[in-house]
Amino acid sequence: MEFPGIILDIPSISQSRKPDNNSIYDMLIVGGGPSAMSAAIYGARKMINLALITLDFGGQVKETSVIENYLGFQSINAQELVAKFEEHVKSFDIPINLGVSIVEIKKKDDIFTVYMEDGTNFLGHTIIFATGERHRQLNVPGEKELLGKGVTYCATCDAPLFKGKKVIVVGGGNSAFTTAFDLLKLDAEIILVNYASGWQADEIFLKKVKKSEKVQFLDYYEVLRIEGNNRVEAAITRNRKNGEEKRITADGIFLEIGLLPNSEPVKNLVELTKQGEVIVDCFCRTSIPGFFAAGDVTTVPHKQIIISAGEGAKAALSAYDHLIKSYPI
Amino acid sequence: MGIISEKDREQLIKILKPLSNNVRIITFTQEFECEHCNITRNMLEEISELSDQISLEVHDFVKDEDLAKGYGLDKIPATILLGDRDYGIRLFGVPAGYEFNTLIEDIILISRRDSGLSKEVLSELSKIDQPVHIQVMISPT
Repeated sequence: MEFPGIILDIPSISQSRKPDNNSIYDMLIVGGGPSAMSAAIYGARKMINLALITLDFGGQVKETSVIENYLGFQSINAQELVAKFEEHVKSFDIPINLGVSIVEIKKKDDIFTVYMEDGTNFLGHTIIFATGERHRQLNVPGEKELLGKGVTYCATCDAPLFKGKKVIVVGGGNSAFTTAFDLLKLDAEIILVNYASGWQADEIFLKKVKKSEKVQFLDYYEVLRIEGNNRVEAAITRNRKNGEEKRITADGIFLEIGLLPNSEPVKNLVELTKQGEVIVDCFCRTSIPGFFAAGDVTTVPHKQIIISAGEGAKAALSAYDHLIKSYPI
Repeated sequence: MGIISEKDREQLIKILKPLSNNVRIITFTQEFECEHCNITRNMLEEISELSDQISLEVHDFVKDEDLAKGYGLDKIPATILLGDRDYGIRLFGVPAGYEFNTLIEDIILISRRDSGLSKEVLSELSKIDQPVHIQVMISPT
């Protein structure tokens, strides 16, 4: 065997120290996507005593394949971009609590407490809440049972598994059409099922997908249940105009029906929209002083990596302003 | 030129600077070193020079047979990583390619005396009441 040399991959080496449960940090950043990581870098450069609390790094970026609209990169693999973000964060001596979910955030006497799933907690004078979004579920029988057995929420991760197969894509927006487009490249046969009437995807996606003869469109249909014995075999759909039920056989089902903000831990703390987004102003301030939010979990429109990164930076600078006004040196 | 490039050496010095406790590396080779034993020993010698907290002991698999048996070794090149106790970590073969990061990460974790596992996981693991032999097969590329 020829010696392959060594490949030093700095982000994979978990060198960060853990935050102290007894300290009160000036800034606690909750989340691990672009907004949280950007906030951490801005906070660290302002020499703020901060800690980062996240289940993992990358957020939804990890579910993308190639990114072609992040400034400075004409085209970059998503994992590579996340690795670059992570490396940047870890170049600062920031304590990081990784791998544990947060349960709730409360405020008492100007101190925020972040309660963790493992029973521990962290204290902070300010919070930057940047927990992002997650995939919305259909909540139909068979969905949970067959998850990973043909039911998937991630085309980037799983589309190659369905090369040349018959696949149902649920949804009518850009995500659904991007998934359909990815699957078409893999020579899959696709049935697009849209609950609403009319397709919401951008014209450019509609044109690309509609010209294919391998796509069948079921508009104004709902999925009632997913069937299969240890693997997806079919979905039972209903025509919402006439109530007619239809069994569609398929090898897989991609659910692309939107995203839900991960705001449950603060639902009793800050004002949210009906959809659960944290309401922020242009300084990333929320209804609670000292509690800032950034990225996809907030009301800021256009969920894009570059926007999230910018919002994270803004939240950190706003929190810094708040800290120097509230706790003068 | 050594096994670790100058650029990687600089980065490793930075990464290993915060090591707070000593890490003992023991490697087993033999008098007539095979190519992989030679690479492993050289690599570990270079690593041990990057931090005062890292020490290296080189043993002979044939001459120090009893010691090798005591560490449960049946093949070389073998690398053993120890802190204030033996955590049971053994690396066989050259920790090359991406596995170089495993070696460095292990050194950092041992120096911290903290596996990084959550209390919940540690509590579950404490329920194991009989020896378990775990082997992770890896490709260095």
